[in-house]
Amino acid sequence: MTARKLTRRRLIAAGTATAVGTLVPPAILKAQTATLKITTWGGKWGDIMKGRVLPAFEKEHKCSVLADQAFPFLPKLQASPKADPIYDVLHANSNEQWKAAELGLVLPKVGAKEAPNVADVYPYAVSDKIVGISIFTSAIGLGYRTDQGLRAPKSWKDLADPKLAGQRGGYLIPVNSLGQAHLMMLGKIYGNGFEDLDAAYKALEQLKPIKLFDFTGQMEKAMLSGEVTMGVIHDSGIYRYDAEKPPLEFVVPSEGVVALEQVLTVTPGSKVRELAHAYVDYMLRPDVQKELAEGVWYSPSNKKVKLEARYDARLFNTEAKVAQLMQMPWKWYNDRKDEIDGRVQRILRG
Amino acid sequence: MRSAQQLLAGGPSHRGTITPAAWLAAPALLLFVLFFILPFGIMSVMSFLTGNPINAPDVALTTRHYVRFFNDDLYTEALWATLRIGFLTALAALLIGYPLAHWMARMHSRVGHALLLMAVIAPMLTGIVVRTFAWMTLLQDKGVINTTLIALGWTDRPLKLMYNEFGTTVALVHIYVPFMVLTLTGVIGRIDERLEQAARNLGASRLRAFLEVTLPLSLPGIVAGSLLVFALAISAYVTPFLMGGTEVLTLPMLIYQQVSSSFNLNFAGALGVVLLAVSLLVVIAYNQVLAHLAGERELR
Amino acid sequence: MRPRPIDAGNAAYLTLNTIVLGFLLAPLAIVAVFALNPTPYISFPPVGVSPRWFEKFFASTEFMNALWLSLRVAIIVLLLSTIIGAMCALALVRGHLPGATFLTAFFMSPLMLPAILTGLALFQVYLLAGIGRPVWGLVMGHTLIAVPYVLRTTLAVLHNFDTRIEEAAASLGASPARVFLEVTLPLIRPGVIAGGIFAFIVSFDQFPISLFLVLPKNETLPVVLFNYMKFDLDGAIAAASMVSIIMALGVVVLLEWLIGLRAYVKL
Repeated sequence: MTARKLTRRRLIAAGTATAVGTLVPPAILKAQTATLKITTWGGKWGDIMKGRVLPAFEKEHKCSVLADQAFPFLPKLQASPKADPIYDVLHANSNEQWKAAELGLVLPKVGAKEAPNVADVYPYAVSDKIVGISIFTSAIGLGYRTDQGLRAPKSWKDLADPKLAGQRGGYLIPVNSLGQAHLMMLGKIYGNGFEDLDAAYKALEQLKPIKLFDFTGQMEKAMLSGEVTMGVIHDSGIYRYDAEKPPLEFVVPSEGVVALEQVLTVTPGSKVRELAHAYVDYMLRPDVQKELAEGVWYSPSNKKVKLEARYDARLFNTEAKVAQLMQMPWKWYNDRKDEIDGRVQRILRG
Repeated sequence: MRSAQQLLAGGPSHRGTITPAAWLAAPALLLFVLFFILPFGIMSVMSFLTGNPINAPDVALTTRHYVRFFNDDLYTEALWATLRIGFLTALAALLIGYPLAHWMARMHSRVGHALLLMAVIAPMLTGIVVRTFAWMTLLQDKGVINTTLIALGWTDRPLKLMYNEFGTTVALVHIYVPFMVLTLTGVIGRIDERLEQAARNLGASRLRAFLEVTLPLSLPGIVAGSLLVFALAISAYVTPFLMGGTEVLTLPMLIYQQVSSSFNLNFAGALGVVLLAVSLLVVIAYNQVLAHLAGERELR
Repeated sequence: MRPRPIDAGNAAYLTLNTIVLGFLLAPLAIVAVFALNPTPYISFPPVGVSPRWFEKFFASTEFMNALWLSLRVAIIVLLLSTIIGAMCALALVRGHLPGATFLTAFFMSPLMLPAILTGLALFQVYLLAGIGRPVWGLVMGHTLIAVPYVLRTTLAVLHNFDTRIEEAAASLGASPARVFLEVTLPLIRPGVIAGGIFAFIVSFDQFPISLFLVLPKNETLPVVLFNYMKFDLDGAIAAASMVSIIMALGVVVLLEWLIGLRAYVKL
């Protein structure tokens, strides 16, 4: 008994020591390289970034990139000191960037002086509806299953079809920007504009019962599995499954599609501001834009990007097509977000 | 053996004399001061400010976050919903977990005990999100339970088992029953079986022996377990979020929304303070009530 | 061991327990189905059996690093929290501290506060203090929420404690230290071990605090899975679950062999 105890005790002690030891990072002789702290999405985008795009940037600029994938990002930026922000470059959707700018956490513009490729982007990417610079966009429209005997929707109003009760999909408005954009869209098609909240609330009531999701990935899976027959979704969310040829189609409704911009901004307190701007410039380079656009079916914002035919056909890659994209008044929405959230929660609570 | 009341109150016969054993609390206090009081203190301070002082130097003191909370019935209802779900979860976990804990504690076979232990622990490790998807699969309109019930002809419309408080509570109970079982099983295990047998030998039925011997003796475990589950259930937000749809709005869900999509750290802080204050009150009250009840029977 | 007679009461007892077990294990069975179902999104009923999600999980360096980190952190948290928590429980029961009831409730507070706030608050403090996000910071954050578990389970065992055993040992001539080490500690061991199991599981599965306290490229498994899940809702998550369960069960079995959880039940 005593002998066994000693063996067991020794084992426990050894195990503990090993575990503790492995937590202490080995003293690596690191070359004096700058570190760029950015944020990035996961999934396919993250794979391409971490696999090819970021390593190439690191080599070119002799730096190391720390890419945070743990969403949400803005709260972390909010909680870090302005003089030493946790990110140098923030990648977020337009609504969040507007909020970040309002809080003084990011610089409002990225100019062609700091990132030369900015001169080559479509007007929407640097419009007054944008804080920072939009590097990609997708289009928010309707997706539907083609195997349910449905007529292809032609208008946003087709989502309210009574036959779709309980089979339609939307987003949790307080937490998802597609949901917020959809709400404003309801104001436009049923009322007199994006800012007609009364019409939007009424229209939202009519959409009940509706299944609501937190993020687009969930909506994509719900449509793939048949839980949802028609839903609000961005084109990338449907097209990226192209290879598997599911019975899904994306539709540009007659009233138009909403832009879901992927926006980059630089933090004012960044200690590596030149590097940050170099990174923004890099993400706007035509070859980098092409790789990402074709990887996840995003529409690139650089005019000079030449996509392969099958991408070119469906993405918004010309002046004319890009002009179709409607940009949302995010500053206006953010100012009213709290009351909208409260109202929406009451409506959908049933 | 001291009565639970005496233990919980610190023991009347020893009032005033702090023994050297008290120093053993020092590491815990240090841990809590550094990693809980300090951050929580900052958060409480933030709840009285208009902005984040490390970013916006011109912040002012305000009570508007608390005023906002108490004025809006959406928020106060969320508080009640949170407490209600917490109570129900704790109660259900106790009713479900006790028999299992008893079985496990009285299991004489080492292999059987190990198997039960694994069966109880395994659900705890499934990971919150996957487990929720599993429950969705079971409880949805087209889920396993509804399709089985309809196939058997017991109902012709799918029962609404999900996207409401019922589904949320079921999923929460599932997560927290193992905590209840493990807390109870240690306590029940330490109750000498011969006490039960003695009662049986004196003529009591199994049920009576259980009610008058085992149950009172396991009271500390019941208190510990139900408090634990209550505390966990009221701070849960992933499960109510995924299982409750839009019908369930709890305070933790609100806090999550405020942090991650409204970016209002001050209001989130106020919500956190309210939740913690109310929960502490409930816990202390529960402790006192149970100590009072337990004090009526001397536990020897 | 005289076998229990099978009667109505016994049968009801066993049936009840079997139902409870079924309740606990049913979702796990579904998760296992998810993990083996080859469709590129989690769904039910299964269309086949395929190891592709396990392959994907084991082939991913990101998942493997995360698994390894989560495991190491959980072990350290287990050790720290059992020591700190058990000491604290003894202090609360034997120390005759004023306001012991309030203190006990206070030490439970981390459990009642949504972890996202705890994580955010710790994050802010760490950054203000200029220490960044080191792994030990993550460990301390986990320990904070693990200690209440150990405290609770140890307190529950201490309540039924028969101090006469200690008094007997003392009257037989053992010094206070020896009484503590050879009588007290072994007797509270079941409660401490139960708390330790909680601590390990809670740390391994912890998400909101880790979310704020991990560095990119050095994330714990729940964080990696959650991020993954936002974009790819496929069986890899379920495979990760199954692997976590099997591994943690392995740790439990190891603990059982090393420390003897069986001693748990009987004196």
